[in-house]
Order: sequence, then C-alpha cells, then structure tokens
Amino acid sequence: MASDDIAIIGWAVSPMERRTAKSEQQMLFEVVTDAVDHAGITRADVDFTVAGSCDYVAGQAFSFVQNIDAVGAWPPKRDSHVEMDGAWALYETWVRLLSGDIDIALATGSGRSSTADPALIYPMEMDPFYLAPLGADAMSFSALQARALLDAGKVTERQMAEIALRSRASATSNPHAQVSGAFDVDAALQTDYVRAPLRKHDLPPITDGAACVVIARADKAREICENPVWIKGFAHYSELHNPGMRDLLTSPSTTLAAKAAGIEEAPVDFAEVQAAFSHEEVILREALGLGQDTPVNRSGGPLAANPVMATGLVRIAETARQIREGQGRRGVAHSTSGPCLQQNLVCVLEGDAR
Amino acid sequence: MTAPSAGTVEMTIRFPYKRSLGPVIGAFMTGLAGQQILGIRNGSEVMCPPLEWDPKTGKELDHGALVEVGPAGTVVSWTWVPKPSAQHPLDKPFALALIRLDGADTALTHAVDAGSIDAMSTGMRVAPRWKAERQGHITDIEAFVPGEDPQGLDDSRPEEPVTMMPYNAEIPYTLPIAVNTARNAVALKEKRLIGLRCPVCSRTYAGERGFCPIDTTALTAEHEVQLPQTGTLTNYTIITPVQYPGQTETEPFARCMILVDDSDLVIGYQPVIDLPVEQVRVGVRVKLVWGDGDIEGWQPTGEPDVDDPDLVNRIY
Ligand SMILES: [Zn+2]
Repeated sequence: MASDDIAIIGWAVSPMERRTAKSEQQMLFEVVTDAVDHAGITRADVDFTVAGSCDYVAGQAFSFVQNIDAVGAWPPKRDSHVEMDGAWALYETWVRLLSGDIDIALATGSGRSSTADPALIYPMEMDPFYLAPLGADAMSFSALQARALLDAGKVTERQMAEIALRSRASATSNPHAQVSGAFDVDAALQTDYVRAPLRKHDLPPITDGAACVVIARADKAREICENPVWIKGFAHYSELHNPGMRDLLTSPSTTLAAKAAGIEEAPVDFAEVQAAFSHEEVILREALGLGQDTPVNRSGGPLAANPVMATGLVRIAETARQIREGQGRRGVAHSTSGPCLQQNLVCVLEGDAR
Repeated sequence: MTAPSAGTVEMTIRFPYKRSLGPVIGAFMTGLAGQQILGIRNGSEVMCPPLEWDPKTGKELDHGALVEVGPAGTVVSWTWVPKPSAQHPLDKPFALALIRLDGADTALTHAVDAGSIDAMSTGMRVAPRWKAERQGHITDIEAFVPGEDPQGLDDSRPEEPVTMMPYNAEIPYTLPIAVNTARNAVALKEKRLIGLRCPVCSRTYAGERGFCPIDTTALTAEHEVQLPQTGTLTNYTIITPVQYPGQTETEPFARCMILVDDSDLVIGYQPVIDLPVEQVRVGVRVKLVWGDGDIEGWQPTGEPDVDDPDLVNRIY
C-alpha cells in the first residue's frame, strides 16, 4: 500500500432495537468506546470526528451538539457533523485524512427512529413546495418506484418477497439483526399491502441504533492494526430530488459513484447495500453491475435492521467485518439518501492479499 | 438504579414555516389559485411542476416560458394509502400518484381520490378536483379524480401574484428520559441540589448530565454528591422579552450564572428573586429558593459581595 492509502482499523455496531431505552448520546458513547477499543487505540488518539445524525429524527434542534460529550472532544478536537447517514460522515473523514497532516479519524451514525411516526418525519426531507405539503413520505415514494419496476417487468411481487426472505433468513446469524428468520412466501403474498405494492415484508423495521468506524492513514494503520481493511475507492453522486422527474427504473448516481470508486478495477466478492425496501436491491444490483451470483446483504441488510442515519455506515462496517473474517477479499458497501435512491454513496474495500 | 432510562416523555414540535416562492414556483402557485396548471419549457420538453433550472445541467431556464398543461393527465405510478396521516391532503384512503399531465414530460405528485384501490391502475386518466377556497398552494387541488373532467371549476382568479406560502407540520415525539434526568428530578422534588462528581477529573457537573465531556466518562448514581444551596452570582444577562409563542414574560428579566459553594459547578440561566434588574451584579451572594418541585430562583443572602475579578469568567 502507498502511504496515501487509508484503511478501516476498527468499528462497532450497537444492538438494533425497535425502541431502545437509551438516549442517542448513550448509544454513541458505547459505540465510540467499543470502536476505538476494537481499533486498539483510545479516544485521545483520534484527530478528527464526524457525526451523521438528523434533528428531525432526534426530535431536538442541534441534537448533535450534546452528542459530542459522548464522542469525546477534549482536548479540543477537530469535529464536524453531517445531516446525513454516517456513511457520508465517514466519507468526510476519508477526504480529511487525504490531506496527510493527521492520521486517525472516526465517523459515527446514530438515530432513534422510534421517536416518532416515520410517516410524519420523512415528508420533512422532501421538496417543501410540491411534495412535503402532501405528506409524501419515503415509504410512499418507494412504493411508487416499486410499482414502476413491476409495470416494467423488472421484478415481480414474488421476487420482492424472495429478496426479503433471503435477507431475513441470512440475518439469523447476525447478532445485530432486529428482524430475522425465514417466512412463508406464499402466505406473505396473501397479506394486505401497507403501501401497495409494498407489503410488510418489503419494508424495513423501525430501528434504534448507532455505529462507529475508525480509519487511519497507511503507516499508522500498519503500526496499530494487524489486518487493516483498505478503502480502495469512495465516492457519492446525487440526482435531482423530485422522483416525478427521474427514470425510476435505474440509479445512474449509484453507477457513477461505483465507477468513481473503481468498482470495475477488479471483481467484487460481495456487497452490502442500503436497500431498505426489497425492490431497491434489484435496482442497486444492476446499477453496481453485480451478477446474481454475487452475495448481497449477507448481514440481512436494512430489511433486518434499519437504524436511519446509521444504516449506511453499518453497511461499511459489515463489509469490513466480512473481509476481515475471510468471507471475501474485495467488497462493496453502498448507502443512499433521499426519496427513491436520490443520492448514492459507494465504498470499495479490500483486505490484504493472502 | 441500573435501567438506562426512566420512562418516556411525549412532546409535539410544530414547524410553522413561511416560504418565499421565487419567480417560477410563485407563478405556478398563482396559476393554481386561478385553476390553471403551469409547466415550464426546458428545450423540447415541458416540466410540470416547473423548476427555475434545468435539473440535468443546472442551466437557468427562461422563467417566462411557462405553458399551461393538463388539466387532465395520466397516472404513471401510484400507491394506496389506507390510513392517511395528519399531513396528508385527504382524511380517507386515497392513492398517492405520479401524474403526467397532458402536455408535460415529467410527473406531478398528487393525491387521487379514487374511492377504492380497485379503481386504481397505471395508465388511468385523472383530472383535478379544485378547492373552492384557494390560496396558491399545491393543495389548491384537493385531489385528482378518475376521468377527463376537472371538478369545482369557478370564476375566481387571484387579485395579486402569490409570492409566499405557508407550511405547517407538527410531529409528536416520544423521547426517553435519561436515568440521571429522572434522579435529578426526584432530588429537586425533595429540595436537594445534587451534582455528579467525575471519578477521573473530580469536576462537578449538574445532576442530570450524562457524561464528563473532559474525559468522556459516564456519570452515574455512584458519583452523586449533595451540594450546598448557596452560591455566588458570576455573570448575567438582562433579557428584554419579545413576544413569541410560549413567551410569558412581559418585562425585562435577568438570567444569571451561579457558582455553587464548595464546588466548581456553575448553574446557568437562573432566575433571581428579590433582586431588581438594575441591581443585578457580579459577586452577589445568593441562596436557592424552591418552587414546586423545581428551583424557583436565587435570592440575595445579604452577605457582602464577593470581590474577585476572575469571577465574571465563570460561565461554565
Ligand atoms: Zn472528568
């Protein structure tokens, strides 16, 4: 590795719960403590911290300010915040480390989705003139995208259920899964729609949770970590916001981000994608150029646990874990934000050659 | 107490926004108030709803190139909302749909009042049902309805262009009460002033704080200390109230920082009692006065002022 390379050296994922009794600050305290411990360092070794969280989810203005107490900012530390998934926080730490003057940074993602009804929170992220006043939420827009796929023959309701089944069955071995276990697809297809054509099994659970990932520049990573997981490429692209102005059958921003992250430079062994709704996996597989034989979301993905604002960072932590545990040498992690996969982030990770 | 939480508290946050609309969205909203739906030319295409810019290139569009579209259109995708939320435009089950209005190349998101999910299909034709009272808002169209014919047509046209729009949402939240917050509330009810002394750096914090920010140490019941209920005023501000929702003060009032005796704890933004605004000053000795289950304020003890030039720096 060149000295400019940057690696993931530690991470932690909180328990994933429908409603935790812990505050967001407490969840963060625990994942930061666990992640720096996992990296073999202390908070004092960290040069830069970035948090990803959302005030509308937290139900409190400037909620990230008090979260700093739990992350640790003394002596005074470089700190930043993004009102985005923690995956974007990690992107900012990565860009910052590329400057070369500091060595270690950590990113967090955290959210207590149980604070309020998602149908009331998520219209707040929409176009304030044309969409939010209609109460249009993320789940409803996902349903519109699913219908577009069904009408175009790119997926069937049964295939959507099978994606959910596969995800939740493989989540049984994931201690961080909130919803796991096989279910009967025929029976599931007889249940009522929640937002037609989406049924309950097509939807992510409502999850409280947090994650933390620690990265370091190559020399430092080698010094403190036996098996760093290298960030080979990292990029994100956005499309226009209003889903009514987009082709909902594809995700060109995912493809652009994947190309920019160098996904085509070598075959990918597996992927962890932020497909919170079952049909999104179909779009993302195609946009990332993954064949049907490439394992996707062996952790269960967001259909097993969806801690909004951390779901994408968990994909990156999961990808690093699977590489370190030898389930593949080259993996791709994906995160998304906005209605109908508006904005997409791709992170390509590799272990050392064995 | 080992549980990480002491129950929950419910509260509702309101978001009463007023938004300025700009030249294009303003024209669109003005159109709605007059029962006209406008798109904007973008090359060979027409975008509805209109934007000021070409979303693909960022190029500014000709803001005068507005063209009337619809009023009928075709459903290009739809979902069914069986249980509407408080933010939805209809209070009965409805479809949320992407509707490509006749003459437009992009889709408008809106409600379709179809009565039943069985009446919905991709490709179906819909037309707007206008509200009688229109203000230049996306919900001036109450919903679209199946068919070719708009409903609720009248002669009412806006007298002035619409330049602003209201947006009102509210979200009820259920938040956990941290253990330290609950324990502190119990202490206050018992007229005890408690602090939490960090086991690492020995600094004392207010009773509800969760962590020592200096060394990121969790503060728990075992770090609790009973504090004296006397202190010294270190700094203050005089607030002249402006009226906003929830403001009950009408006259200027003081908010003071109090350094609690025998500790390094400064409690912020405290009211004072029996100390007129013009007499509030650094160094006043004060004692705690209890209200109903909480601190009512701090009252001068009558002791001589503390003369310490560094005192004013103690704001935390
Ligand atoms: Zn301390």
